[in-house]
Parts: sequence; structure tokens; C-alpha cells
Amino acid sequence: MTTTAQPATAAGTAEVVGGTARGEVRRRRRRAKNPGSHLLVYVLCVIWIFPIYWMLNTSFKAPADILSTTPAFLPSPPSIQNYIDAFTKAGFISSLLNSLGVTLATVVVSIALGFLASAALTKFRFFGRRAILITIICVQMIPGTALLIPLFLSFKSLGLLNNYAGIVLAYVATVLPFSIWVLRSFFLALPDEIEEAAKVDGASTWRILRSIYLPLVLPGLISTSVFAFINAWNDYITAYVMLEDQSKYTLPVWLVSFSTNEGTDYGGLIAASVIFSLPVVIFFVLVQRNLVSGMSAGAVKG
Amino acid sequence: MSSDTSQMNARGIAPTGADAGRGSHPPRGSARRRRWVAPVILMAPAMVVLAVILGYPLVRLVLNSFQDFGLHALFTGQNEWIGIANYTAIFTDSDFLPVIGRTLVFTLGLCVACMVIGMAMAQLMTRVGGFTRMLLSFILILAWALPTVSSTLVWQWLFQPLYGVFNWVITRLGVFGDYTEHSWTSEPFQAFAIVFILIVWQAVPFVALTLYAGQSQISSDYYEAAMLDGATGWRIYRSVTLPFLRPVLYLVAILQVIWHFNTFNQLWILTQGGPNGKTTTLSIWSFQKAFASNSFGQGSAIAIVTALMLMVITFFYIRRLVHSGEKL
Repeated sequence: MTTTAQPATAAGTAEVVGGTARGEVRRRRRRAKNPGSHLLVYVLCVIWIFPIYWMLNTSFKAPADILSTTPAFLPSPPSIQNYIDAFTKAGFISSLLNSLGVTLATVVVSIALGFLASAALTKFRFFGRRAILITIICVQMIPGTALLIPLFLSFKSLGLLNNYAGIVLAYVATVLPFSIWVLRSFFLALPDEIEEAAKVDGASTWRILRSIYLPLVLPGLISTSVFAFINAWNDYITAYVMLEDQSKYTLPVWLVSFSTNEGTDYGGLIAASVIFSLPVVIFFVLVQRNLVSGMSAGAVKG
Repeated sequence: MSSDTSQMNARGIAPTGADAGRGSHPPRGSARRRRWVAPVILMAPAMVVLAVILGYPLVRLVLNSFQDFGLHALFTGQNEWIGIANYTAIFTDSDFLPVIGRTLVFTLGLCVACMVIGMAMAQLMTRVGGFTRMLLSFILILAWALPTVSSTLVWQWLFQPLYGVFNWVITRLGVFGDYTEHSWTSEPFQAFAIVFILIVWQAVPFVALTLYAGQSQISSDYYEAAMLDGATGWRIYRSVTLPFLRPVLYLVAILQVIWHFNTFNQLWILTQGGPNGKTTTLSIWSFQKAFASNSFGQGSAIAIVTALMLMVITFFYIRRLVHSGEKL
């Protein structure tokens, strides 16, 4: 529940991409050569890339070169020994698999629930609909760490500590409000005529949901599942509190406990962090492109 | 992403009759005719999860904050009502005011830094060529995408005494003397400083890219008109860019407030609130009270105070959002 901190992630990214193409045209017309700005941007590039460069640099050094008082700016000779070390560390592979399992379960459950709920909230009118929508916005304001205490106590009395079902539910609840909110905008963009035509042909509600709405809001489902993935994969604090058993640790919890217990093996630690970060970074960059079509489709009014 | 349904949303009550105007123009919601059964079935799973995992704990949080909920209660399941004793305990705690002050200054500092740097960066991005801009965007996205646990561990390594590259660089500069063995987390201000830099590094990409996206959607006609009127640089930014950007700016700023106010991972992993509790913010304090001192009642009370403070700070924004109506 840490990551209520990112609700705008997916949407923000989409805007970025959507904006670029249009901005490009305008700028061609307007821009004058500006060496000062260029220089400044390159300086910023260097500052912002440095920690990532240093992370990769460290991870590819030979383990013996890492603890050196004169740091080398290139790994010479490059070595993948740190990665091998990471994989052979006790608990790494099992926590990697734990993370994968928990994350995939979160993605599947949250898009299923989000899809059904946002269909109900947009394609049906019923009493209390507006109240539910307002509640969903307000719920996002509750700090995740505040809910951690009662959630921990409840899970403890229900025997759900150390249990993945509990933690998956916690993640689903964290991402669900945002997922419903995003999917809702995709549903709103669909013209009602499609549904009416299907009904004339005798389709049932379930059939309409499955064969008509599902494919049409697919881009929205992709962006919400990426959001769910990133949230569940990155979470540290919920897993840290709920999973007491070392064999149940997810990757972030394992990483932090590794850094406190084996503080000196920075090579293995940084290599493991690279492996941990890789799926999220790849998803993030890929989704940039996917979201273009997704968001522009979602933005076209019915 | 803006879809307009305002005309239908004024009322949220389902029409009961199965009538329906079936003229040549069928009303936009043919769904109006449907009963409430289908939506309830569709909503149920999501609502159950939200009620159990968000609603119930929220109620329980409030109740716990009025109970003596310690280690004893944890094992016996019996917890006594003690009125507002948890609240008086935390309000009279000598840590209370320093923690609040620290949290507010830390949050405010981060928000100002992230907004100023982000706005400047977005403006800068409109002034450079396509390739340069793409390069910066890509780098920003990488920094943004990095999980906080990874970035925090990398920070630990960058600022590591003896082997950290930052200490090496600062020593080589020769201005500050020998920093080789300097430990950044053993002095409160410096510990805050490295956490501050870490958070700025990861939060600015969101601000800059979102604002840039907003800026690139402002029609160039306005800029041309302003230039014809003889406006230049700063004046154009103030009179054309800022007014158009205002809604995005509000949204970004309020998200910054919420995120930074609740900062946890970075502080917890790097300092655990230390040294001597001098980097303890509200979220760390609540966590420590509950999970380190096993005083779940006081931890809950701090969490409630935190949530209320955040609510007061963001109240005006939420009111604007709810009253704007067009989104519901």
C-alpha cells in the first residue's frame, strides 16, 4: 500500500507522448537555435543519468574492483560475476518467483474487477453511482502507510500474515480506484449506438461486455495492468510488514534485508537491484508507445 | 482523456419505469431502461474488496486510536477503550512538534524544489531540438521508472563512506577537504540532504514531462499573437504559458504535496529516522510507534493526525475537483 504515491504515472506518461508529435510541428516553426539551452539540457542529462550509469558500471565490475578507494569509471575488464553472485545468493531466486507470482495475481484480479466495475459505473445508471465515484476519488487521498497498521492487525487476527492472498488483496485495493478511474474514461468514449446495435441483434449483457466492450477498452486495460504491475512489483513496505517469513519475501524486501545483513557486498546488491528494476523500466519504456494509441483512442469522443 | 457526460450526470437516480423515449432519437443512455441488477453484480467484487481492504481498516484505524492497543492486546485480542489518551500522549510527546515541523519543512522544500526545477526543465525542453529533447525525456523516464527500493540502494552506494563515488569526487575537488570517510547519514541535516536529492531526482521527471506535455498542447497562435504584440521571453511565459498551464500545474503540485508528505521508503531505508530520531517524519514516527514499540494505539493516532493534516492541506483542491462537476 506504499504506492498510492503514483496514481498519475500511466496517465502522465501518455500525455507526454501524445504531446510530443504536436509540439514538434509547432516548434519547427518557432524555434531559433539556442546554444545556451542546449548546453544546459546536456548538463541536466549528465546529472540525471549519472546514478543509473553508476549502477550499471558497478554491476559489471569484477567483484574485487568494487571496494576500491579510487573508483573506476568504466568496468575494466567487464564481468558478469556480480550477476552470477546475485543469482546464487540464498533466497534470491525464490524471492524473484514470489514477486512474479504476487504481481501477476494482482494484475489479473485488478483488471478483472476494474473492468466490471467501470462498465457498471459508465454504462448503467443506478442509485448511488455519483456517490461511489466521489468516494473513489477521495479514497486515493488516504495515505497507504496509515492503513498499514489496521490492515496488519486485521490480517494478524485472520491469520493472513505470511499469506500471499492477503498481500494480493492489499495491492488490488491500492490500484483499483485508479484503474476504475482510467477505465471509466475509456468506457465513456464508446458511443452507446454500438451497444444498442448489439442488443437489437439479441446480445445479452454478458455477451456485450465480453465481445464488444472488452476489445474496445483493451488499450485502457493495458495501461491499467502496467500500473498494477509497477505498484505490486515495487511495493516494499506492505510486503515488509505482512511477510514475516524469510522464505516468503518478495524481491524488494529481500534486497533491503540483504543490504542490511551483508552490507559490504555492493556488487551483488547492485546487480540484484538491476535485475529487480529491469522489468519495470522495460514496461515503462514500452508502454510509452502502447499508450499513444491507447490514450488517443480513449480521447476520441463517441 | 476528457470525455463529456455532464448532461447525464446531474442525477444519479435510476429511472424505474421500463418506458423509454423511443423516438427517432433514442436517448444516449439506452442503459437507462435497464434495472439495477446488472450493475450491482458487476460492481460487487470491486466494492467488496475496497470495503474490506480500505473501508474496514479505515474504521478500525479510527477505533484503534481510542484504544490501548499494545503487545498485550495483540496476543489476547482484548483492548481497552482509553478515550483520547493516545492523542494526549502524542501531543505531549517531546517529539511531537519537532516531527511536525520537520515533516512540513521537508514536504514544502521538496515541493518547491521539484516544481521549480520541473517547470524550468519543461520550458527548457520547448527550446531545444527534437533529438536533444528526446534524449532528456528518455533519461528522465529511466530515473522515474526506477523502483524506489533500487534507487535508494543505489544512493546508499553512491554516498557510501570510503567507497562511494560521491565522497571521492568531493574530495578530489579539493574545496571541502577530505571527505573519503565521511558518513552522510550520521548527521541529521546531511542525512536529510541526501534523501532530499534522491527524491528530487526521482520526482522531477514526472513534473517536467507532465508540464512539457501540457505546454506542447498550447496552440502556437497564442505565442505568435503575443510576439506580434512585442512580448518577449519571461512576459510570454507569464501571460501565455502559465494561464494555460494552470490546471496541470494545480494537479501536479497537489500530487507533489501528497507524495512528499507521505515519503517513507527512502527515509526508512537510508536513515530509519535516525540519527537519534532527528530525521523522523510523521509517517516514520507512526510506523515506529506501531511496529517497533508495539504501541498500535498511538501509531494509529499519529496516522489519523497525518491523514487529517493532509486533508486540510488538500481540502481546497478536492473541493474544486468535486464541485467542478464536469468529470462526474
